[in-house]
Amino acid sequence: MADLVIPQSILDQMVAHARELDPYECCGLLAGTNGAVTHVYRIKNIVALEGAEKLSSFDPAKVAHLERLSPAERAEIAFVMDMQDFSVAKKDIRSKGLDLQVVYHSHPHDPARPSITDIKIATDYEEVWPKINLPIPAYLLISLMEKSKPDIRGYWIRGGIVTQAHITTTSL
Amino acid sequence: MIKVRIPTPLRPLTKGQGEVDAQAGTIVEMIDTLNASHPGIKDRLCDDTGELRRFVNIYVNEEDIRFLKGKETSLKDGDEVSIVPAIAGGTSCRT
Repeated sequence: MADLVIPQSILDQMVAHARELDPYECCGLLAGTNGAVTHVYRIKNIVALEGAEKLSSFDPAKVAHLERLSPAERAEIAFVMDMQDFSVAKKDIRSKGLDLQVVYHSHPHDPARPSITDIKIATDYEEVWPKINLPIPAYLLISLMEKSKPDIRGYWIRGGIVTQAHITTTSL
Repeated sequence: MIKVRIPTPLRPLTKGQGEVDAQAGTIVEMIDTLNASHPGIKDRLCDDTGELRRFVNIYVNEEDIRFLKGKETSLKDGDEVSIVPAIAGGTSCRT
């Protein structure tokens, strides 16, 4: 059985989001029920805001690296979700009786696999999800390394261990 | 007494503690109380005008304070407050 069932139209919307922000990273959420995705929520990437890198579980090497870059350059190699957007999305997901299924982001220049930073932050966040009454989501990455052929892959990240999440696409 | 959950990026300011207690009647008071015992924490949570930074959420008993009364949200004995940093990530470091 598939871990995630995602309509092609939603995959298309995510790829469009990634392409619109290229060369910067995009980020967002997918919601639905029991692995079946029905809604997509774009979230602003606010990594360029002053101080964002310090409150985002980045490791010291990543913080040092980000601080050497201009705000625009930062958004090419990292994302920090706007938590106002996140809260509005969370409220909408709840009001529709849905659950969070996926956190997605793009890698404009790199493969669709979680970086060390992605794994560390996802692992730190495992204890946060239950506190805010959300299930631990799958993580989806969109690579634009080959601009004409975006690569989308899903992962589970638990206890620092990454396993591939199987995605079934529907034509709806 | 209020229980405040401290996220990993702020734990260097709380000597590694993941949870601290605070005596406060509102979120503003709680942040000031925390800042008195753990200097620097307010600057991480609030901007120069005292507003909550966009890369942090504060939940009182699982409800986002942005949907309550913001930083004026009142607190009562036994409440649990979670400070939640933004979901983040990104490509591996390149040199």
